[in-house]
Amino acid sequence: MKKSLKQLVIDTATDYIYLSLIIDGYEKQSVYEKGVNNHSVTLIPFLEEMLNRENLTLKNLDEIIVGDGPGSYTGVRIGVTVAKMIGYLNNIKTYKVSSLALMASHSDNPFVLAVIDARRGNAFMGLYKNVDKKLIQIKTDCLDNIEKYRNNLSCNYEVVSNGKPQIIKIINSDLLELVKDIHNLTPNYLQITEAERNLKNESNIKTSS
Amino acid sequence: MYILGVETSCDETSVSVVKDGKEVLSNRVLSQIDIHKEYGGVVPEIASREHVKGITYVFDKAMKDANISYEDLDLIAVTQGPGLIGSLLIGVNAAKVISLNYNIPLVGVHHIAGHIYANYIDNGMQFPLLALVVSGGHTELILMKEHYHFEKLGETQDDAVGEAYDKVARILGLPYPGGPIVDKMANLGKDTLNFPRPMIDSKDFNFSFSGLKSKVINVHHNMIQRNEEINVPDFCASFQEAVTDVLVQKTIQAKEHYQVKQIIVAGGVAANSGLRRKMKEKIVDTEVYFPKMAYCTDNAAMIAVAGYFQYQKNKKADDLMLNGQSRLNLER
Ligand SMILES: [Zn+2]
Repeated sequence: MKKSLKQLVIDTATDYIYLSLIIDGYEKQSVYEKGVNNHSVTLIPFLEEMLNRENLTLKNLDEIIVGDGPGSYTGVRIGVTVAKMIGYLNNIKTYKVSSLALMASHSDNPFVLAVIDARRGNAFMGLYKNVDKKLIQIKTDCLDNIEKYRNNLSCNYEVVSNGKPQIIKIINSDLLELVKDIHNLTPNYLQITEAERNLKNESNIKTSS
Repeated sequence: MYILGVETSCDETSVSVVKDGKEVLSNRVLSQIDIHKEYGGVVPEIASREHVKGITYVFDKAMKDANISYEDLDLIAVTQGPGLIGSLLIGVNAAKVISLNYNIPLVGVHHIAGHIYANYIDNGMQFPLLALVVSGGHTELILMKEHYHFEKLGETQDDAVGEAYDKVARILGLPYPGGPIVDKMANLGKDTLNFPRPMIDSKDFNFSFSGLKSKVINVHHNMIQRNEEINVPDFCASFQEAVTDVLVQKTIQAKEHYQVKQIIVAGGVAANSGLRRKMKEKIVDTEVYFPKMAYCTDNAAMIAVAGYFQYQKNKKADDLMLNGQSRLNLER
């Protein structure tokens, strides 16, 4: 019998933990649970339970797909750390995918704007398009003022801020990126830290005066 | 028994393999000090990001140094807290993955228990034991009557001693981290300024360094106002003498009150040469131990050793709900 392909998906960039177990192209198990500030507590237990339901362990996995952000810094770090460790320990192929793409895949509207609130009128946003059961990225994910960003869009789109991903659609699209060296996997924060920004501004003032 | 230690409570990503709670087979420390230097202190968000960046690399190096495979491990010990929450979460989640992947028991260890048990690696322990824990985040006196039993006798009411060192370095324009450089300068100077020795006469075992810190800032400010030349070595020596006088005096009080058999000084400030000298000079009737320099600053070997004794004592592992805790009680 041909060995089956087992893929694990992890995304923790939002208030929801999303886990999925795909066997030979079918989503056999999934978890989509809201949990504010406790992903660090529940992610591994949820993962263990889900694998148990299929009588599998981490060692049985062939590939792992992780939502690498953007989104909550702490949240995305937990998912990326866990995926990175699983990929490293078992020496399996690891793919990353935008957490906004995962979110957008929930909707089948022609145009979908995935939005993760980033406070003060800003949000992480990504514009996607559904074409022939595939999801296509229209505009690169960005962090921007919501009003400003939306005023520049002319198409009719649906705004999505949560909802379980349609993972098979993601798998069939061209949105996964292979991580070449697992040690280099890091979240896509989309912005440098405030401390780095302040330091840059200081040195800009110094060099210009 | 092979124990894997994991420590990410502040700005060092560290992984270690220790055999039977004593023999350090590897102890990798990826320090972020050069990154945080520019900011004059640890920036939590940057620290968290760096931990994720370096985590698998450090595991890989530590396992290769120890020359064993993950299947050979018997226990995983990870720092649960206290510390920077974003940093702790990386180590805790990485450790949980290893535990699940290889079905190895996992224990969450108190960071200060780690600092105390760093001493066990080279010196062993005799009870009752008195530990003075001094670092950038801690200043406390802890009594141990037996293995893995901690009783906090006293602690700082405000700043940790390491924080005071950083502050002094900053006002003198010395680079971060302040501890080592102020220590080095102090060795070249004399105590000419006679700074206050806060709480030195109080009967309890508590400390306070914020008053001393303000006094140091004031004196410095006044010297600048008067256009007085600041003798940096003398300034540092004056500060260090005041601080170490208090630390040593409190340690002596506690030693006498509890009739301890062994004193250990642990934490980053245990590397301070002035403190080492004064402890050895003033305390002659009880053995005073300092962990090796490499085990004074944050490292995973100390967490592995502490985890080993915690597991021996409780005969119980933590479950996979284990979480990082920015605040955590040692005496639980
Ligand atoms: Zn420490």
